Amino acid sequence: MKQLSTHQLITLFASLEGGWDVRLPVRLPDGTRAMGKLSDAPPALLGGPLPSKPTAAFFPQEEQVFMASEGEIRPSPTPERPLLVAGFTARDLECLRFIDRFFATAPRDDLYFRCRETALVAAVTGWCGPAGSFMKMAQGGCDLELVRDQDEWLLLSYTEKGMSVTRGVPHRHDEGRLERLRQLSTTATGADELLLRSAAALLRDDLIPDSFWREIGDRCILCTGCNLVCPTCSCFGIRDWRSAAQTQRSRIWDSCQLEGFMREAGGHNPLGSEALRSRRRIHHKLAADLLRWGEISCFLCGRCDAACPTGIGIVSVMKEMVSRYGKTTTYMTQEGVSTVDRSSRIR
Amino acid sequence: MISSPSPLSPPLYLPVTCEIISVTDLTPHEKLFRLKRSDGRPLGHLPGQFVQLSLLGWGEAPISVASSPTRGELFDLGVRRAGSLTTALHLLESGDTVGIRGPFGRPFDLSFLAGQELLLISGGCGLAPLRSLIQYCQDRPERFGTITILYGAKSPDRLLFKDELSSWEASQRFACGVTVDSSSDTGCYDGTVGLVTSLIPPLTLDTGRTVAVIVGPPVMYRAVIAALKQKGVPAERIIVSLERQMQCGVGKCGHCSIEHLTCCQDGPVFLLSEIEQLRGAL
Ligand SMILES: Cc1cc2nc3c(=O)[nH]c(=O)nc-3n(C[C@H](O)[C@H](O)[C@H](O)COP(=O)(O)OP(=O)(O)OC[C@H]3O[C@@H](n4cnc5c(N)ncnc54)[C@H](O)[C@@H]3O)c2cc1C
Ligand code: SF4
Ligand code: SF4
Ligand code: FES
Repeated sequence: MKQLSTHQLITLFASLEGGWDVRLPVRLPDGTRAMGKLSDAPPALLGGPLPSKPTAAFFPQEEQVFMASEGEIRPSPTPERPLLVAGFTARDLECLRFIDRFFATAPRDDLYFRCRETALVAAVTGWCGPAGSFMKMAQGGCDLELVRDQDEWLLLSYTEKGMSVTRGVPHRHDEGRLERLRQLSTTATGADELLLRSAAALLRDDLIPDSFWREIGDRCILCTGCNLVCPTCSCFGIRDWRSAAQTQRSRIWDSCQLEGFMREAGGHNPLGSEALRSRRRIHHKLAADLLRWGEISCFLCGRCDAACPTGIGIVSVMKEMVSRYGKTTTYMTQEGVSTVDRSSRIR
Repeated sequence: MISSPSPLSPPLYLPVTCEIISVTDLTPHEKLFRLKRSDGRPLGHLPGQFVQLSLLGWGEAPISVASSPTRGELFDLGVRRAGSLTTALHLLESGDTVGIRGPFGRPFDLSFLAGQELLLISGGCGLAPLRSLIQYCQDRPERFGTITILYGAKSPDRLLFKDELSSWEASQRFACGVTVDSSSDTGCYDGTVGLVTSLIPPLTLDTGRTVAVIVGPPVMYRAVIAALKQKGVPAERIIVSLERQMQCGVGKCGHCSIEHLTCCQDGPVFLLSEIEQLRGAL
């Protein structure tokens, strides 16, 4: 087992900077944790999921498609050094796996894979969550996993890339620590996963009335935060930036919560109300993607609930859906707990 | 975990250069651009497909190919001046260049249409994509049964492809019905006035052999579908080509989704029975 102190780990990251463009959680001067470079700010591996999405390393907010001048088009160059991105939680890796599949499905999105193909992805798990809590181990789905335990980091390599960067780190006896951490990870299940499936079933069975989406829509202030932080949100627009000498074509994140997202030149707008757009945000993840990709595309990373200023992130909305329209509801009565079948009262 | 790049998959977002061979005014708002890929290769499209037309500095817009692949390596785009990019395009002349990506999208299913009696219904700009299919039918007459073309425009001066409409009307191959919503300010029009839906009830249809194809503005679909269903045409025999805002054309940007489907990849051509039950499709 390879183990390092935090100081040794950061030294290792620093030593890799010649061959890799290293990104890891850092603490900005205002206290925010963000994905950054060692030269930007001090590293901040502890604290759990980053507020912004780590998948932005491969699908950034704005990305150049090409530059053109005098009619000649120059595609974006391939970066000199491959990316090494540390800071994915186990759930973030599920999100990454999903958008990898999304962008890889024919026609393959070469722009996404320009940086993704060669990148090294490192998970940060174990006793490193918010307030020292335990973050479930990933146990795969990345090149390297950094598992925090007793002020140390256990280094687990899953791929050739992962092994190549930890080659110099000596082995030590792990005294069964890894096994204990694995055990902890299997018991760390979420009640939220049940919620996810119940909410998805309600949408599949078309049991959520439009009035519900009007209510949620009324509470949305169109800040787009939910989409911008979501690691599986991949919507974008294509824009040209024109100057006297050249044109840059970029792809830029877009948000389905904005009025113009689907509006056509002729004025027709299939998502013309906040109610429809709120429905789309939730339905897309829980029902549409389940049909198209065979899996729900929310992996409960928690970001949209943390970001939404009005309390309508996906978990909050799912809770309301299930408590109001779920087939059974549990009530406390004088006789004790009673479960009522509400399916006949829906609609 | 990560798929390897295929040497056969070209860069998704890089346009190829095309030369404008000619520009023709169709109406005061619409022009026909005849294009040729600068590398000399054919576009390789099928009727019903579209291209992402790229103008440096203005971005891209999805435009249906308005000519049949049977007509050689030149291809036509009929473009309405709708906003910034299309206005800039209307200022271009023969000899200028534009970019295109594509062709993209699911085309009309020609094997499904083979042997059927076709009822091709369009409104406004919708005649552009249908023209590709009509030309294809002209060039492969043995493949199809009788072909009826119904076309409606706002006013006589907004009728697209007037010369071709006349030639189709005159030909043995086609039965044509053309109408305008109103003809108040253009004196010389002596054709039918009324919505395109008004042309449907008088038709005699063999509903077991007829396939209807609808391409037009969003408001047209419901009314035309209702009129067709009244005549007994089932949803499995009605084809629609839908329009959505499109940014990528390749199923990635999310703008054109219809529940779990994408209009750019799964469509724009759909069987009505595939999308009828989907929220917001029509
Ligand atoms: C499959 C398909 C085929 C089409 N075929 C034709 C055709 O043959 N002839 C024709 O004249 N028009 C066609 N359109 C409509 C045409 O794409 C729009 O009129 C055009 O995008 C307007 O661009 P603009 O920049 O001039 O307008 P603006 O209003 O300035 O557009 C602003 C932005 O909105 C987007 N946008 C707005 N409306 C649409 C829309 N309806 N569809 C896609 N993107 C939109 C554009 O990408 C652009 O980035 C088609 C649309 C689709 C989806
Ligand atoms: S919790 Fe919210 S931000 Fe995270 S994957 Fe689900 S929808 Fe996206
Ligand atoms: S974060 Fe909340 S308020 Fe902001 S767009 Fe999303 S749902 Fe609306
Ligand atoms: S146009 Fe981008 S997904 Fe269809």
